[in-house]
Amino acid sequence: MAIRVNPKLINELERFGSEDVYNCYHCGNCSAVCPHTDELFVFPRKSMRSLQMGLERKLEKSIEPWLCYYCGQCSEQCPRNAEPGETMMSLRRWLISRYDFTGLARLFYKSWKSELVAILAVALFTGAGLITYGFWQGDIRIYDGAGAFLPSSGIHFFDLVVGSLMLLFLAVNSVRMWWLIMNPKRERIPLWLYAKKIHLLPWHFFTQKRYAECESGQPGVVHIPWLMHLGIVLGYVTMLILVMAFLHTLQAGPQIEWSAHVFGYLASMGLLAGTIYMLHGRLKKTRVQYLRSQGSDWIFLGLLFLITITGILQHILHRVGLPLAANITYILHLMVVVPWLLRMPFSKWVHMIYRTLAMYFADIQRGALAARAATASSIRQVRPAA
Amino acid sequence: MQNSRIGVYICNCGSNIAHIVDAEAVKESAAALPDVVIARSYRYMCSNPGQEMIIQDIRELGLNRIVVSACSPRMHERTFRNACKTGGLNPYLCEMANIREQCSWVHADKLAATEKAIALTKGAVNRVRYQEPLDSLTAEMCASTLVLGGGIAGLTAALELALAGHPVYLVEKTDRLGGNLARVDLTAPYLDSARDLLTERITHLRDNSNISVMLSSHLKNLSGFVGNYCAIVETNNGHNPPEEKTIHVGNVIVATGYKEFDASRITHYGYGKLPNVITSFEFEQMLRTGRVQTKSGQLPQYVAIIHCVGSRSKEFHGYCSRVCCMTALKYAHEIKSALPDSYVSDVYIDMHAFGKGCEDFYKKSSEVKTLFLMYGKNERPVIRKADPSDDCEMLIEVDEKLSGERIEIPADLVILMVGMEARPDSAEVARLVNISADKDGWFIESHPKLDPVATTTDGIYIAGTCVAPKDIPDTVAQARAAAGRILAKIAKGKIEIDGVFAEINEDRCSGCRMCNDLCPYSAIEFDVVKKRSHVIPAACKACGACVAACPSSAIKGRHFTDQQIYAQIGGVLA
Amino acid sequence: MSYEPKIVGFLCNWCSYTGADLAGTSRIQYPANIRIIRVMCSARIDPTFVVDALAQGADGVLICGCHPGDCHYSEGNYKAMRRFPLLKKLLKSYGVEDERVRQTWVSASEGQRFADVVTDMTERVRALGPSRIHATLLTDRLER
Repeated sequence: MAIRVNPKLINELERFGSEDVYNCYHCGNCSAVCPHTDELFVFPRKSMRSLQMGLERKLEKSIEPWLCYYCGQCSEQCPRNAEPGETMMSLRRWLISRYDFTGLARLFYKSWKSELVAILAVALFTGAGLITYGFWQGDIRIYDGAGAFLPSSGIHFFDLVVGSLMLLFLAVNSVRMWWLIMNPKRERIPLWLYAKKIHLLPWHFFTQKRYAECESGQPGVVHIPWLMHLGIVLGYVTMLILVMAFLHTLQAGPQIEWSAHVFGYLASMGLLAGTIYMLHGRLKKTRVQYLRSQGSDWIFLGLLFLITITGILQHILHRVGLPLAANITYILHLMVVVPWLLRMPFSKWVHMIYRTLAMYFADIQRGALAARAATASSIRQVRPAA
Repeated sequence: MQNSRIGVYICNCGSNIAHIVDAEAVKESAAALPDVVIARSYRYMCSNPGQEMIIQDIRELGLNRIVVSACSPRMHERTFRNACKTGGLNPYLCEMANIREQCSWVHADKLAATEKAIALTKGAVNRVRYQEPLDSLTAEMCASTLVLGGGIAGLTAALELALAGHPVYLVEKTDRLGGNLARVDLTAPYLDSARDLLTERITHLRDNSNISVMLSSHLKNLSGFVGNYCAIVETNNGHNPPEEKTIHVGNVIVATGYKEFDASRITHYGYGKLPNVITSFEFEQMLRTGRVQTKSGQLPQYVAIIHCVGSRSKEFHGYCSRVCCMTALKYAHEIKSALPDSYVSDVYIDMHAFGKGCEDFYKKSSEVKTLFLMYGKNERPVIRKADPSDDCEMLIEVDEKLSGERIEIPADLVILMVGMEARPDSAEVARLVNISADKDGWFIESHPKLDPVATTTDGIYIAGTCVAPKDIPDTVAQARAAAGRILAKIAKGKIEIDGVFAEINEDRCSGCRMCNDLCPYSAIEFDVVKKRSHVIPAACKACGACVAACPSSAIKGRHFTDQQIYAQIGGVLA
Repeated sequence: MSYEPKIVGFLCNWCSYTGADLAGTSRIQYPANIRIIRVMCSARIDPTFVVDALAQGADGVLICGCHPGDCHYSEGNYKAMRRFPLLKKLLKSYGVEDERVRQTWVSASEGQRFADVVTDMTERVRALGPSRIHATLLTDRLER
């Protein structure tokens, strides 16, 4: 069955940030230099080719864009300046919009202004809501304890609601991703493989070990972007756990509750270092992967930076005995956190889940292939010689 | 021959000969032969010191025969003959043994190769004993030139000769000048107008009184030899019988060009059946009128260009037609500038971007968003009509190599890049001027690397696409080269006719006249008074047909006598 | 010790000799048993050359000319072609095996073909063993 070539697809991808894809003349230098490509998943040339030819279905169910960590070596090696690294990035954005059933992701990627408007709207709505709630049941000069403006119990409940909403959309989109990639109707992957490889999910999620392998094979050299990224991930994961499970302890004070707050401090340092490093990188264009920044990239980092700053600030203000200022900062903090969480399934941040899933699916596919090959050769052995 | 004093020179040719053939051993064996006064082995005999060696030995040792065992005589026979001349020896007293092209380069077994080199040298020594001094004749060099073909090659060559002040006869088969280039709109890679290129040439041509242009004409017959050719040109201008003109020229340049491959021979491109499948030349016509459109007058949204139509294929022509890849890219550019919203697919096997500016041109074509799709050499795409529900006219199905998928390419207009092939009348032209053509019909040059515009027939030159597919820069270069060679000859004024021809011994001739009709050059005439046949030396080309045929052994083939050959046979078998 | 056949080749200057040179330029290898004698055209080849070669010890004789239609001298190879059957008949009566004397056409661009022809002929002549008519013909020649 012949696949139709669709030269129009590239026009769509350009809105997601792809540039100069047509320059690629398939020398293969990019795939040769990529540290993550292997026999089963060959990239980035294959993805570049599918994009040039507009093979939409093939791209939609491909895992390759997620296996890429944008070390940028492919773009550096490319003799035609076809930007394979940025193309893989644009494919990730496009896939995010494809997995998303709401259409919001596509809207936000095509127009960063609409995303900003949405964020502002949610922020203002959140702010108005919180202020109303605060004044209704508390005193703005009290930060914690009885009569608190924003009591931890209330905020905790609010956080759980927002979190659940986010998780709901995330779950649906993840199932869509699974459906597209693993395509259960086309080939049956045995369930035991899913179980066998399950450990990969937390492994890739918490360490991003493959990201560390991005540096060009030099032993002993630490890939700094990986380190900074790890700082950010561990940072917000810690904060999320603290907020979702230990908000009461976190908000208590003004004395420092070391058992909980020490984690907060470590998380904040990781977040601060990471976001500043990346913002600096993007501003000064220090690395290949920071050369091109779309609206979504700035918004992502900007929001995260603001969350960190307001979070640290309100903690300090509370400790030095300025509850009014602390409360105001807390409101601002939440005005940034809520849109941040809600936009997660429709934005860049969802790579946290999609990439992890992709690594998992990729290894399952590798396992399935190996299992099939083993069965085939054992059948050959069992069958008597003709 | 009595009193032969032979000098034998074994060339090492650097390591070309010496690394397989033991030159010292050959020298030793040669030195031991009777009548050999001196035998030497030297690095490069064709070099100045090498030639000096021969000259000195002739003078100091009184040598009267020279044997040089080295490369092919087709390379350096002239060199060593000149050295002999300088040394005061008749050039025909020199013989070469080919121990390079026909020995060291083709045999790996050193012992066998050395043995063979010894045998060949012995053969040459035996032969040279019977060689006689021969004198060449001189004849006038006619300064006029005949140019066959009025395309860019012919026009360039004619102008070059005419501007130097010599008469030129330009014979063109059709009724207009310009050849295939006149059918082209813009040229790759700099997108110059072909019309401008030609107009410039043709205007200068018409202004030049040295050039006689004969349109609707072709060469009917050519006789004579270099410097003294007699050509009969027939012109079809409606009269019956057609007009014939006899002209005398010194040299001929064959620039008859090419013809494009007939695309209807490939059935699965649907050329001739599907209305919107056209050839490159038909597209050029479209470009010249300024409107890129389908047969029904609509603007195409999808245009596909297919490379290698008739070229690089086992069934049709195995060679590459050289210019089509860059021409296809030129089309991609032109289509994108005429219809910026269209989608251009370029379906190719390999991208041959060989010339100046071509690699950049290729990159620019990518930048204007041409989609390049690669197919395999012997797996051709198939074009079929699309369904009415599709958004395109036709679909091209092919196994695409860069993605590994079998794909369908939408197309409203398909341009077939038809290759070049030899004209159907090229065999006739070759026969008329006495040159050879290879299995594809392209004329054969004297040496593929070192002599690209001359042929094995002195005075006949070839230039342009009639030799092999090539682009405009190379065509013009060859045309100018051929003209340049002729100008050099004309400047010399006289030509030397080889002293090698057949000679009839009147005492032995029985007057049977068997040789008269054998000669393809009609160089033998019969003297009715003496009742003997006689060879005209200037017309004789020394083929030796008459020599072998004469029942009275009355004809001697100078420099290829029976005696010489028997001696050589004896030598190589010893 | 196996014998090495000696083959004499008469090659015309314009096509076959050039073709043999091309085999050399292209470094195409072939057996070293052949010794080439250049003539201007295959029409020059007198049948007595062939007989003389056999008499002087050649185990095989190869005659090469231009392809029919391509002769540099227009029709020389046709003349050579016409002489050949009569020569073969004569040789047969002397007991010369058919495969010892061969006539073929090699063009100036056929370096590989020349090498193939020589390789093939060498093997055939080797299989036939040394020529036995050498002595017979030698006597004949001396008497002439």
